[in-house]
Amino acid sequence: MPVAEPETRQPETRKLIPQSDSRARRKRRTLLDNLATKVVGVGGFSIIASILAILLFIFTEIFPLFSNAEVSLSTSFKAQDILAGQGDAADVALLGLNEHQEIGYILSRTGRLSFFAVKDGAEVAHELFSLGEARVTSAIQSLKGKRLTLGTSDGRAILVEIDFGVRFKQGKRSYAPRAKQVADITLDENRSALTSLAAAGDVSETLALSAITDDARVLLYLQQTEESLFGDAETTSSQIELEKIWSGTPASIALDATVRNFYMGSDDGKIYHWTLTPDAAPDFVSAVRVRNSPGAINTLNFLIGGRTLVAGESTGAVSAWFLVRDKTSPAGWRLTRIHEMTPHPSGVTAVAASARGKGFISGDANGGLHLEHTTSERHLASFSRKTGSAIELISYAPKANGALILDSAGEIAHWLVDNPHPEAGLKAFFGKVWYEGYEEPEHVWQSTGGTDEFEPKLSLVPLIFGSLKGTFYTLILSIPIAVLAALYTSQFMHPALRSKIKPTVEIMAALPSVVLGFLGGLWLAPRIEAVVPAVLLMSILIPVIVILAARAWDGVPLRIRNRFRPGIESMLLVPILLLAAWFCLYLNGAIENAFFGGSFKDWVYQTLNVGYDQRNALVVGMAMGFAVIPIIYTISEDALSNVPRTLISGSLALGATPWQTAIRVVLPTAAAGIFTAVMIGLGRAVGETMIVLMATGNTPIMDWNIFNGFRTLSANIAVEIPEAPVGGTLYRVLFLAAMLLFMITFAVNTVAEVVRQRLREKYQRL
Amino acid sequence: MTQFWKSGNPFVWLTGAALAASVLMIVGLVLLILFKGLSQFWPSTLAELHLQDGSKVMGEIWDREEIPDAEPGADNASQYRLRLKVANRDLYSLDFRWIDESDIQQRLSPPPAIAIERQEWGNFYGYFVGLKKDGETVAADLVDGWPTIEASLDEMRKLRERIKEIEKSDIGDINHDLERLRLGLRKITLASDTTTAETRQLIADKRAQMADLQAEYLDKEKALADFYGSSRKIVLSMVSVDGHTIDIPVYDIVRIWKPNELSVFGKCGIYLDKLWEFVTGEPRESNTEGGIFPAIFGTVMLVIIMSIAVVPLGVLAAVYLREYARQGVWVRAIRIAVNNLAGVPSIVYGVFGLGFFIYGLGGTLDQLFFSEALPTPTFGTGGIFWASLTLALLTVPVVIVATEEGLAAVPREIREGSLALSATKFETLWRVVLPSAMPGILTGLILAVARAAGEVAPLMITGVVKLAPALPLDGTFPFLHLERKFMHLGFHIYDVGFQSPNVEAAIPMVYSTTLLLLVIVVFLNLFAIYVRNRLREKLAYSAF
Repeated sequence: MPVAEPETRQPETRKLIPQSDSRARRKRRTLLDNLATKVVGVGGFSIIASILAILLFIFTEIFPLFSNAEVSLSTSFKAQDILAGQGDAADVALLGLNEHQEIGYILSRTGRLSFFAVKDGAEVAHELFSLGEARVTSAIQSLKGKRLTLGTSDGRAILVEIDFGVRFKQGKRSYAPRAKQVADITLDENRSALTSLAAAGDVSETLALSAITDDARVLLYLQQTEESLFGDAETTSSQIELEKIWSGTPASIALDATVRNFYMGSDDGKIYHWTLTPDAAPDFVSAVRVRNSPGAINTLNFLIGGRTLVAGESTGAVSAWFLVRDKTSPAGWRLTRIHEMTPHPSGVTAVAASARGKGFISGDANGGLHLEHTTSERHLASFSRKTGSAIELISYAPKANGALILDSAGEIAHWLVDNPHPEAGLKAFFGKVWYEGYEEPEHVWQSTGGTDEFEPKLSLVPLIFGSLKGTFYTLILSIPIAVLAALYTSQFMHPALRSKIKPTVEIMAALPSVVLGFLGGLWLAPRIEAVVPAVLLMSILIPVIVILAARAWDGVPLRIRNRFRPGIESMLLVPILLLAAWFCLYLNGAIENAFFGGSFKDWVYQTLNVGYDQRNALVVGMAMGFAVIPIIYTISEDALSNVPRTLISGSLALGATPWQTAIRVVLPTAAAGIFTAVMIGLGRAVGETMIVLMATGNTPIMDWNIFNGFRTLSANIAVEIPEAPVGGTLYRVLFLAAMLLFMITFAVNTVAEVVRQRLREKYQRL
Repeated sequence: MTQFWKSGNPFVWLTGAALAASVLMIVGLVLLILFKGLSQFWPSTLAELHLQDGSKVMGEIWDREEIPDAEPGADNASQYRLRLKVANRDLYSLDFRWIDESDIQQRLSPPPAIAIERQEWGNFYGYFVGLKKDGETVAADLVDGWPTIEASLDEMRKLRERIKEIEKSDIGDINHDLERLRLGLRKITLASDTTTAETRQLIADKRAQMADLQAEYLDKEKALADFYGSSRKIVLSMVSVDGHTIDIPVYDIVRIWKPNELSVFGKCGIYLDKLWEFVTGEPRESNTEGGIFPAIFGTVMLVIIMSIAVVPLGVLAAVYLREYARQGVWVRAIRIAVNNLAGVPSIVYGVFGLGFFIYGLGGTLDQLFFSEALPTPTFGTGGIFWASLTLALLTVPVVIVATEEGLAAVPREIREGSLALSATKFETLWRVVLPSAMPGILTGLILAVARAAGEVAPLMITGVVKLAPALPLDGTFPFLHLERKFMHLGFHIYDVGFQSPNVEAAIPMVYSTTLLLLVIVVFLNLFAIYVRNRLREKLAYSAF
């Protein structure tokens, strides 16, 4: 510090005298000064700007969650070019794409499967399936596009497996695609053409096939392959023609992945549901009219996971359905309309489900296409070629990042889909969503599951609830203690004691939260668990005992009382408090026996119908109290002790007791300061991470019960972000959670700060 | 009675009780941590219990509690049970056992009982059988054998150091060089045309160097194998109280003592030895035993790097706000905003650090300068540098606020005096104002450090790990490894207390770590208060 050293200061001072200052030096000094002004200006401003830009950065990470998908046309070609003159649009039975969208395939009704390069439409390889005189009348593919089922005009179903034969050579991919026929099953003994097909399962285990014939019959075929001990495969199969219980004509069929449910959509707008059991006839469950004035059910498709059924109607309406548990229905389940998607202006002609998440593409008779997601109920994109030709076939790429689409004019278009966050959206984050397998719409947070079929449940509501619950119980416990302690310190305590007590409580604010969390979770929680009744008793008994102590103190002869300085009560209370606490603990067993039937935990379970969690809101409230009490205490103490002395003297001079003065004069004057204190305490409690992470079970449930755990926004971020893939939906949702926290605390603190500044001005005026 | 209520005294006493409760809370917490944190190093006596069913158990008595009611209403109120640390994890698989007092027939503390702290499997409690060298018994009696045991302990300790040196520095260096050569090779193949004679020569050179290093590595490995062979030669035969004989290589023994024969003085010696190991040693047994030196080192390094980053940023911003910016509504708004940033949850800064520093800046750095190591990230993953910067961002509001207060406290006369002597604004700032504002800056820094030392949540997502293979500062070029992951006291508490497979055995360690962290943080806070008061007094003189 140069200021403190006189010998260096002496020559400096002389040099600073302008007369001896050379022109060059003066110039240099001015230059330096200007430079410094600029550096400090630019530097300081940019530092502050960049600190505040945190919010901006977080916002840019969140933004993509709410933006729509981008769909762009990559190429298009004529179907007959690929078919090499062997037919036109009407002759295409199926389209498909490989994982990298480099190889596509096209199946003609003559049974020729040709693979072509997507970039130019040139054929790479082809395969011919011998159908004899027959033609392919219908064809379907698995979600990943590698297993095909062909229905023929003579009642057969042919199963085909595709291998794109990808090879890597010096970082480049090359393909040698092949297709192999794995089974040829005669579905219809009458040899009618199969106009519509559905398939589920696998040839090596359970295989189910279903078809609609051109004479409006519905066929079912079940095949079970069991491997015997000796490794021989034994196949049993059954063939059923469903009894005609429907009105209208069958228009579409679907089989779920578990091979337990079969659905048929009719042209008068009903969905019929059968359950399937091996070695027994299908059991008709119910028929559901999709809406009051329905069109024909043109399409029925399962989304990935085989639970959600998407029905497309000739009116253009698209809805998603699944089975919901229902005790009143005889089967125990009821097919329920869960989501109503954005309707098409004309009839739905084709639907293709995504192999990544609960999304699909639907096409209509005017050539319009919709990209939809059921869980978030988001309409992500509308796109079309604007030619007005009806959509014939849609093939969604296995990674859901592109699609091949054939229209009635014979144009095959390759679209690129950029749809990174279909499952996001305001409704998914904050609204009640009806998830697969749930009985009603709910707020649920369950971000990751084991399989691709998992439906992410991204409701932030349980987490916000958890943050609020933790804050609520913390404040309930902390505010009385902190504010009363502050009132005592500022108004009644002996000044000599005050100068020691205040820093002690303030040091508490410096306790690392990880320490509090550890003690809360591993020390406090098991101990509280054993003595909950005693803890409840303490909250009533301790105040009573304290008042009794005050009464007793009144009875003590003045001679003895005068030996103690006034304002020492709190120290006298320390042994009394300890004694009272011990007394409550001592009574624990007796209370438990007398009021709670011997076991408090059982009592909680039976009366409140929730289990007692060892790490619960009570424990968090107490542990977080250590962090929040000193904050509220310090700020309210400052506000209370800064109330102008003149006000207090005036009140006392008018004959008010110290308590009356404290409660009628001091407290109302400093009320704003106490409000500030509570707000800042609240800000700390909302964002606290380690304590809640360690002292709660982190289960994202919504229940106000004090004996349950919860999961807060902050703990959720800490738990999930290390595992979240960068740029993925979960990653961005966690950023959204962070931004919510930022905004809540920032708003709360700003309110507190403004109130505090007002208060300061008020004190100056008084 | 009405007089009593009217006087307001009961309410005053209630408020007093609130304060007393707060004080009790803090005192109780500190006492709890002090007791739990310090008591675990004390070598308590080994009790041998003979049970009613004829079996014997030996261990340290850790706890005594009333047996919780098995069924409500049953009269076993006066029944107690003991929590015994039986150790011998390799035999019993659990470290602790509850024993009802009613089951105990006899309680002894036999003098020849021995406690051994091992490198693996925790402690062993039992009796001495013999000391064997190459399979032959050299000592069968404990009293005679003790000097031999101590001598071989010494020998083995040296051997362990030798092995550690080879493993850590020799083989570590070779591995480091190999990795560098491999990356160099990759860089050449990535960057240049491999067909030219020059690059081919270069590649061949590197390959030859790698082959040399590999040969060297094999040599070292052979030497290591020899050492390991000799480490198994001296074996201590022990028997547990229930009759299991077990051979413990002396090499595996950390320390050995006879708890029931030790004097208080001797116990103090062991206590201090254990305490010293705790502070300076490496962790063992997935962090549940040994020391926490890497965590202390990581915490200190983190705080130092953070301080280097936070002071210039905070001071520059504060100087701008207070001295250069035009005062007005805007600056006031910014001041409130900066103030409030101190209240934004730390996890939010952690998320920002992860997104901006690690994936943003780190990912870019990797692509520009460390492309040969990709897809393994260098800076594109959590590390001490990014964690420090995140903490710096978290604490910069504290420094700004404190510095501003310091600047505001500099009397106007001093500035005007300097300006009147024709010093420029910058000269006044640099030579007069900033030195006077030093206490504010220092207070800000110390408060920032105290906050950073106790913060865990943002570190969990920016690079802290449960076990770091190497310290961020060591003898290999470039000595300071900013990209490395690190250990941290606070995270150590969380990890060992909540993620460790054997929480019960680990908890004593956590209490000690907690105590250490608490001491550091409280000390830093007190130091901040002290420095502020001290400098205030000093400046009060120099200003006039």
